[in-house]
Amino acid sequence: MKQEKALKAPSQAKVLMKRRILNLVPIIGLLVLIAVYVFVGYWEDIRFDKGIQAIINSSVVCAVVATGAIFIYTLGSFDISLGAATLVSAMIGAMAYNATGSIVVMMLVCILVAVGIELISSLLAAFLDLPVFITTVAMMSILNAFALVLIQINGTGDSISIPSEAVDPFDNMAFKLAVLILYLIFAVFMFNYTKIGRSQKFLGGNSLCAKLTGISMKKMAIVAFVLCGVGIGLGAILTVTYAPTVSRNTASGVGMNVILAIVFGGMPVSGGAKSKISAAVIGAISISVLDQIMSILQLGSGVGQMVKAVIFLAVVVLTSLGYRQKMLAR
Amino acid sequence: MKNFKKVAAVALSLSMAFSFAPSASAAKSTKIGVLVSDTTSGEALGFRSYYEDYIEEQYDVTFIYSDQLEDAAGEKDAIDSMIAQNCKAIISFSSFDRPAQIEQCEEEGVYYAVATGTLTDEQYETYKEYEYYVGAIGPDNDTEFQTGYDMAKYYLDQGMTNFGIFTGAVPYYTEMHIYRVAGMLTAMVEAGGDDANYNGATDKDSIVAQIYADGCAISTGSIGTVNLLSVVEGYTMDDAWYASCEAAVNAEGLEAFLAVGNGADFFAASKPDSVKIATVDSYVDSLGEAMSAGSVDYLAGKFNSSIGPIFIAVMRAIDGNPLRTDEGYALALGQGYWVATSYEDFQTYQSGDSVESPAYTKDILDQYLEADYAAFAEFVGAYTYDDITNVG
Repeated sequence: MKQEKALKAPSQAKVLMKRRILNLVPIIGLLVLIAVYVFVGYWEDIRFDKGIQAIINSSVVCAVVATGAIFIYTLGSFDISLGAATLVSAMIGAMAYNATGSIVVMMLVCILVAVGIELISSLLAAFLDLPVFITTVAMMSILNAFALVLIQINGTGDSISIPSEAVDPFDNMAFKLAVLILYLIFAVFMFNYTKIGRSQKFLGGNSLCAKLTGISMKKMAIVAFVLCGVGIGLGAILTVTYAPTVSRNTASGVGMNVILAIVFGGMPVSGGAKSKISAAVIGAISISVLDQIMSILQLGSGVGQMVKAVIFLAVVVLTSLGYRQKMLAR
Repeated sequence: MKNFKKVAAVALSLSMAFSFAPSASAAKSTKIGVLVSDTTSGEALGFRSYYEDYIEEQYDVTFIYSDQLEDAAGEKDAIDSMIAQNCKAIISFSSFDRPAQIEQCEEEGVYYAVATGTLTDEQYETYKEYEYYVGAIGPDNDTEFQTGYDMAKYYLDQGMTNFGIFTGAVPYYTEMHIYRVAGMLTAMVEAGGDDANYNGATDKDSIVAQIYADGCAISTGSIGTVNLLSVVEGYTMDDAWYASCEAAVNAEGLEAFLAVGNGADFFAASKPDSVKIATVDSYVDSLGEAMSAGSVDYLAGKFNSSIGPIFIAVMRAIDGNPLRTDEGYALALGQGYWVATSYEDFQTYQSGDSVESPAYTKDILDQYLEADYAAFAEFVGAYTYDDITNVG
């Protein structure tokens, strides 16, 4: 017996060590990217103060939306309409500002519209008994078409704008970081310290077992989409305050960047108990740092996409190593 | 202790590597950022080739290109990144939010210029006194209108009365394309007889207003004695859309099909021999082949080196010798297209504006490094092939 224990002990320690290292892969990846950025930046004589500003500016919307999207991804589902929902929320928010002159109203409208859009997606899925990602595919087309209708209704050329003076007080690091940090605190609390978060992880890990214990997939999906809607609404606010001209392509890259960020951040693609909010922020910053490195090295977008694709696959393989064989039957 | 040694070794290696870095970057040339919303079209590649393969060889500059930009936030991100990379100026081919670009550059103390485009009158009034706004050189809305007008008139003067139009990005409210289409419709109204009108509109301003009032959807029908038989809009580029392209160019009785852009890409292959295709595009090989084969009949094209003058204006600003109007305002200079109505014209223009020997050579551009505003404005305004050849 003692001999058996002695034989098992090192292997368990090894497994634990491997798991810890695998858990650290995203953060190690980010640190490596930062090191490369510093080295390349120093070599190319860049202005690091402006570089950090550029990284934060280009990652904050993705980080906020991805933080909300974690709730959906935890269920093992995904939402492909995130970018379109951000666009429509920002557009209606801008129109609300133009109608009322109130930035508070604009912000509230952005959040309410985003939550409404996500609510419709999830309710449709519940009523039609469809997987939620199916309704988000339909929603993406509808929202993109709706954005064109909004532009037409607004009647001011090919975009909807609000005066830059109105948003200037909010286009600063303090506001962006405050929004991100407050939403992160809220998301971490909901995810780790409430029944909702635990139920969602259980559902993502094994929906059958979760169902047998009385957890409703449909209810939890609706809750996840509403929580994500808050993130989309905040993303829309940050979009309008950063660039107050909203056109049909605004936030078009958000959907794909969120998927990349969540995976880069070490979130298991199948959701479940290993899901973590931090993946959104780590991933969003990683993508932004990677983009900056590509830009400094003058590698075109084609090369950049290929590099991202390779890293994407590598991270998925690495992060799934630890749990692939341990997943319960669904 | 063992770990400390490892950390110390890494730190030492990094510090040594970094200590060499400044010497590598010290000799670097002036960096200019270039914002682009199109990275793949022949026109975009032609412009890029002129800057990277000709101007970089002739002057001590390095162009830092953005990725393909898709919205105003992307423009701001790209400018942030370029400023971080020590760019002294930004030349913009992207127009999602020009005022925001100008404001950002002014705030950061980086020179900003618009290439192949212009500001609206209202925007110019706002920004003309900004220290870091160099100005704009390119086709303004009047030039775009005239381009569409001249294209339609070319065929109307030949007695043709049955037309089709590709409106491109008009349904997306893109001003440049709206004004080109408005020019085409205005020429048709003028040629259509006394009672001719387009949905009740009869002149430039009312036709532009009517297009907006109609939600930027162009309708087919009679314009007096002229018939608008088919319209294709947008860039949906799915099977149904390609089928509509084929149907439009094969409309019964069609004589000429006028495209605001991409005429060779979407319509030339499926048109009957009798139909003439006219398009706004650029002097790239594929257009030459299309004109040679007779599948494109009329080309209003930007020429690659047309972005030479704005480069000179930017360099002068960086060198502390900015070009301003007599009142001290930023530049606002119009520049149009080269029009080829035969393959011979095309060959002449293309060979006259190659990477090896562009229309605007270093010798020509250097003449304006010290010129006053009037001379520079005259130089930019004389943009036809013959004008430029004479300057050279």
